Amino acid sequence: MQFYEVPDTLYAEQDKFELDIEEFKKGNIDPVKFKGIRVAHGVYEQRQPDTYMIRIRCAAGGITPTQLKKVAELGDLYGSGEVHFTTRQEVQVHDVKIDGVMPVIRGLNEVQLSSRGGGGNTIRNILTSPDSGVSLDEVFDVDPYAIALTTRMIHETDSWNLPRKFKIAFSKNSDDDSITQTTCLGFVAQVKDEQKGFAVYCAGGMGAKPMVGHELFDFVPDTKVYHVTKALKVMFDKHGNRRSKFSSRIKFLWKKLDREEFVRLFAEEYDKIKDDASLNLELPTLENAALDATIPVETAQGDAFELWKRRYVSAQKQAGLVSIKLPLVLGDLLRKDADKLSAFLAEFGENTIRCDRAQNMRLRNIPEAYLGNAFNIISKLEHTLVGHAPFIGNMINCTGAQTCKLGICLPRGLSSHIRERLTSSDLDLDAIPDFRLNMSGCPNTCGMHHIAHLGFFGKVGRKDGDMYPAYNVLTGGKVEMGHTQYAERQDELPVHFIPDFAHDFLKVWIDRKVKGTYDTYYDFLEAEGNDLVKSLCAQYKDVPTFDENPDFYVDFGAKKRLSMDEIGTAECSAGVFDMIDVDRKSIKNNTKLLDQELGAEEDAKVLYRILFSSARMLLVTRGLDANTDEMVFSLFIKHFIKTGIVSDEFEDVVKVGRDASKDELVLHKDKVLGLAAAMTALYESMDDSLRFKTKDGDVINEIEAAEEESSATPKSSIIEKDFRGVPCPMNFVKTKLVLEAMKSGEFLRIMLDDGEPIQNVPNSVKLEGHKVLSQTQLGAFWEVLIEKV
Amino acid sequence: MNLTDEQIERYSRHIILKDIGGIGQEKILNAKVLVIGSGGLGAPVLLYLAAAGVGTLGIVDGDVVDVTNLQRQVIHHTPDVGVPKVESAKAKINAINPDVKVIVHYELAMAHNILDLIKDYDFIIDGTDNFPAKFLINDACVMAGKPYSHGGILRFDGQTMTHVPGSACYRCIFKEPPPKNAVPTCSQAGVLGAIAGILGTTQAAEALKYITGAGELLTNQLLVLDALKMRFRNVKVKKNPNCPVCGTNPTITELKDEEQVVCDLK
Ligand code: HEM
Ligand code: SF4
Ligand SMILES: [Zn+2]
Repeated sequence: MQFYEVPDTLYAEQDKFELDIEEFKKGNIDPVKFKGIRVAHGVYEQRQPDTYMIRIRCAAGGITPTQLKKVAELGDLYGSGEVHFTTRQEVQVHDVKIDGVMPVIRGLNEVQLSSRGGGGNTIRNILTSPDSGVSLDEVFDVDPYAIALTTRMIHETDSWNLPRKFKIAFSKNSDDDSITQTTCLGFVAQVKDEQKGFAVYCAGGMGAKPMVGHELFDFVPDTKVYHVTKALKVMFDKHGNRRSKFSSRIKFLWKKLDREEFVRLFAEEYDKIKDDASLNLELPTLENAALDATIPVETAQGDAFELWKRRYVSAQKQAGLVSIKLPLVLGDLLRKDADKLSAFLAEFGENTIRCDRAQNMRLRNIPEAYLGNAFNIISKLEHTLVGHAPFIGNMINCTGAQTCKLGICLPRGLSSHIRERLTSSDLDLDAIPDFRLNMSGCPNTCGMHHIAHLGFFGKVGRKDGDMYPAYNVLTGGKVEMGHTQYAERQDELPVHFIPDFAHDFLKVWIDRKVKGTYDTYYDFLEAEGNDLVKSLCAQYKDVPTFDENPDFYVDFGAKKRLSMDEIGTAECSAGVFDMIDVDRKSIKNNTKLLDQELGAEEDAKVLYRILFSSARMLLVTRGLDANTDEMVFSLFIKHFIKTGIVSDEFEDVVKVGRDASKDELVLHKDKVLGLAAAMTALYESMDDSLRFKTKDGDVINEIEAAEEESSATPKSSIIEKDFRGVPCPMNFVKTKLVLEAMKSGEFLRIMLDDGEPIQNVPNSVKLEGHKVLSQTQLGAFWEVLIEKV
Repeated sequence: MNLTDEQIERYSRHIILKDIGGIGQEKILNAKVLVIGSGGLGAPVLLYLAAAGVGTLGIVDGDVVDVTNLQRQVIHHTPDVGVPKVESAKAKINAINPDVKVIVHYELAMAHNILDLIKDYDFIIDGTDNFPAKFLINDACVMAGKPYSHGGILRFDGQTMTHVPGSACYRCIFKEPPPKNAVPTCSQAGVLGAIAGILGTTQAAEALKYITGAGELLTNQLLVLDALKMRFRNVKVKKNPNCPVCGTNPTITELKDEEQVVCDLK
């Protein structure tokens, strides 16, 4: 069996991909273009150069034992030797070299798995409640819908080039364990007048700008799942913002349009197709039953077995069958463990595995009689947390700075330390099996801190100018159909205090929970929990100076001091450099063409391309985005020539490119090539903070010309201040103090964190009467250039 | 002077203000303010000026804390009964803000000592409870060219004005203290404690505005509060050329103490 069918066209696409890989290796395809190609095939580059991870679609989180065995084998042959279970209910193979990519992809074909659409601007893996189909309290099984919808959507060619990724989830009941309000489109199973159907939510999303999804329908019949999805997809395709990667998800479309307009545009598409019954999904039958196994029944006894049963085994609605939760360490399953599990599970059939969102496995359709066998196998697996309370395995963390260039902190290290602190304490963690303790390495929510009961996301702490790893502390994330709410930030803590903090906080909550003091966790937070967080944070405020305790300035799991140099800038520059490369290559290739004596007409075109690329190449370093050629030239004049970064001897030729006909350029060939050379030299002088240097190594401090008149201002030095990690309003206070000490007409460049700081500080500076000349996002932070008035 | 990190945090809400900023805060930290009387008016004045970080606060008061003071003199607490008010106030100020240097004058401001008391300060606050003292402070400040804030409260009423050299003074409006017993003493009349807070914090705000140069002061106007209707009126007043102390031909050229029942209800 399989959980989705791949389109036949996939094999041709793979052949093409294979050719592209070869061309890329030869240097004939530039990295940016290749990135676009490979990401669509679910192939991501890791932080280590030339190393990739491959993300494999598992519709409804389902994977069969046969498939799991194959993935583990491929992972072992071509990658790190493990299968990684992700928060997106899918699996990944890590550490694959470029030559391993095609063998993995072709190997997946053998078991009808695909990595196509693992990334890119497309319909992503469709999620469901991990116990849908077997749960005692579900409204109905939603897996068949997710499976049918996946197959349908990945057969539609227009699904592959949406403005941005499109995430869909299904929940089995109003508990909404697929957290539909955090996705682009979510369906929650309902029954109304004996009709199966769904409440529909849309335009939610987490990430650095989280938004809770909105109700689109309180009920649609289950036959309309495809129609709703298709209508939203088409609408998104038409109206989504393709220009800015940072504001292109459906949630931003909702925000831009407001409810009324959004719903109107949606209805426009939906009404066109909603009565077309030929579009109804054909639901697969997905039986939750067990085959008669051929292996002998084993027994297990003792406290450990009983404890395990209580913790990890639950009855299914199918009599005599049970489900088992298998908590993995950071989502990793070793090949040999995968082999053992697959062999065992295959005894009972192919519909026996789901991935859940806490990077764990769920085994289902196991006859109760075989629990002894299951226990004997599972307790001998190498890489699991099965000896601990479920709380431990439920903790979620992103990989953070280990593999991700945006990461500030290393949540894997923190997670391990919290785990050690809690498991070596006397806390009764079995009292809180469903507690969500989630952490992310930065404000992006890969670790789902927004929906955490107690969440953390990485930040930079500072003491006397020294940076130490720290986390924001959040509480109160709540998941429930129509009432989902995101966790709120309460305070912050240095990473080294968090294990003790987590212990102290949970100790009180467990006590209240056991005593039944409050109806809900949220009542607890309101009555005392949030105050407790604050008082504990106040108690854990004493940060030693660097001299007193240098270790405090090193993150858990890190080898050296926290440093901003590797964060943000590096990642951002990487992205920026990708874009610059396109123009650099264009300059190079087109310059070669000039030698071929193609005639004046052709030369004019070539020169225009060189001029255009020269002008555009470094705009991105100033955060400038031009959507017409004319704008490229105008921005270039304003920000590079008027500012004195580039000699004004080139101004005329740029204006020729902008205002006159291309043919004239042949008359200015030397100037065009001169500019190309100047821009290339400038590029080569650029440092990681995107500043340019002169030949002598001095940083060129340009004045950004926001208005024509300021170009008349003589060059003056720019004062630089780094206020990353300084919270509001202290970042403004400090900015203001620096400005006060400056003379009118001088320039100040500050670095600010994303979020509140960038939203507030520039405005406050303007209210003081100063000029904000530019603000540029560089990954997780911003640079703001101010002129003192 | 450079603000320390601790100070930047402590005074961040001042620094953020466009009209104050770091420069204004430094002025506050360098300022010296004398508060005469640490009773109903003086208490809020001292508390807010201390929190604001006024560098030097002088307190003049010859009384000890009495249990009847506690209804409105919020800087003094129940355990302070019997303690000199200057000491009680000083302890609270130190607790609020260690940046503030407190100089105590455990005495009454009188004709013989007042010029000496005020001479080192940038701004004076009248927090006294009786007419003779109010006239004395006015005359002394006019003569010494010191800016000061006048304040007075009774029952549900209050009034305040700010004098800077050249602007109308208290005597421009009220020539002399009312005759003895013409106005009821405060102990007979009573006063709503919170009125002291309203007027005292207004005086503190005036002092901070004077120090930082922010906005416009209550000069040449008397702010009159009727708390029963909760109405504020700004009554325009003018410098009186015939004023006995600041007029063209002043008749008061020497300070003297005038007699008046001392109110026990400051
Ligand atoms: C190089 C940077 C990044 C890497 C390597 C990365 C990697 C990942 C991975 C591996 C997961 C699945 C977690 C797991 O189970 O292991 C994930 C989830 C997620 N990522 Fe990222 N990510 C990156 C950047 C971002 C950014 C920039 C955003 C948002 C602006 C983001 C938003 C999310 C969200 C919201 C989820 C999970 C929650 C969900 O939608 O189900 N990520 N990321
Ligand atoms: S949350 Fe931040 S650190 Fe973690 S994986 Fe996502 S982008 Fe990287
Ligand atoms: Zn006068």
